[in-house]
Amino acid sequence: MNYIAAAIIMFAVCLVGFGMCFATIKSVESSARQPEAAGKIQTILLLGCALAESTAIYAFVVALILATAK
Amino acid sequence: MDVQTVIKLAAGAIIFAVCLVGYLHAVRKNDGHELTKKQKRVKKLWFMGLIIGAWFVVGVFITWFSQKKFHFAIDFEMFSERVELFGGFTVAKTTIIAAVSSAVIIAVLVLFRVFAISKFSAGRPTSVQNASEAIVEFLDKYVAGVVGEKAAKGLSPYMLSVALFMIGCAFSELFGLRAPTSDLTCTLALGFMTFFLLNIYGIKKHGVLGRLKSMGGAVPAMRPIMIPLKAVSDFAVPVSLACRLFGNMIGGMMVMDLLKGVLGGYASGLPAVAGLYFNLFHPMIQIYIFITLSLTFINEAME
Repeated sequence: MNYIAAAIIMFAVCLVGFGMCFATIKSVESSARQPEAAGKIQTILLLGCALAESTAIYAFVVALILATAK
Repeated sequence: MDVQTVIKLAAGAIIFAVCLVGYLHAVRKNDGHELTKKQKRVKKLWFMGLIIGAWFVVGVFITWFSQKKFHFAIDFEMFSERVELFGGFTVAKTTIIAAVSSAVIIAVLVLFRVFAISKFSAGRPTSVQNASEAIVEFLDKYVAGVVGEKAAKGLSPYMLSVALFMIGCAFSELFGLRAPTSDLTCTLALGFMTFFLLNIYGIKKHGVLGRLKSMGGAVPAMRPIMIPLKAVSDFAVPVSLACRLFGNMIGGMMVMDLLKGVLGGYASGLPAVAGLYFNLFHPMIQIYIFITLSLTFINEAME
């Protein structure tokens, strides 16, 4: 039963992938429009991707806890 | 040796021999002349075949020597196993690894201080001096860009030491040990250090009452509701930092374990290539993100 729950939780990773994809699309568009701001955009992108990724990481950690629980 | 091993070994040896002959032919035919583009490509192909043949033979030999079936299973534990030191006093393995890796870093830095920094001069900088000054200056400028000149004086050395500690942890994974940063207790300690720094710098800037006021927001009537909410979100900072670092490190470690489990006896050479990403590049990115997020949270507390 725990393994099924862990598998369901890992669906969050799929949506996080979409979210990071949108952030990257927008950052590429905006740095193509304004190449002089590329450095600043890259910093913000990394920060935003890290924050978005944290959702996936939480799901992963919870899945690990569920899968290894005795 | 059973029949299967002999057949595999023979196949690997044939591949190796054929590619060796082809490679030597491709090299010898053209000495004295420039190689054309096509000949270079052929040479490269023969060389790749040579490496694949050698890898196969080595893999078959290792599988035969170890004599046991490599079975595909992960024995993963959330917290690392404990070692008994003296008198029933147990210590987690990752704690010992962290202590050893910090001791190595400290020893290297002491040697650097004694032998390299004593020779630094303002007039004629050597390459070592230029490199170390570039690192320190880059970090100083980066930290000052986020939190301002005044706070950067104290924070930039701390961030450099955190980065060095995490690099040491990442390198310990290359020796086949479990990295201390893939233990939740270690990352939680790092997260709580950021939490304390955030409060210390916030109180230093505004005073205790001023910090409470800035936590409450601009509207005075909303403050009794806003302050507890902000306090909860502040307590989420160390937890989120710790879980992020822990999850990323454990993810990298598990991918490497899976790769080694799949390859079994043939795990020579290939894990090193994958380890360049999962053991070196990925931790570096995580160090950058940890430092950036810590600085952003500290800056937020100081506003």
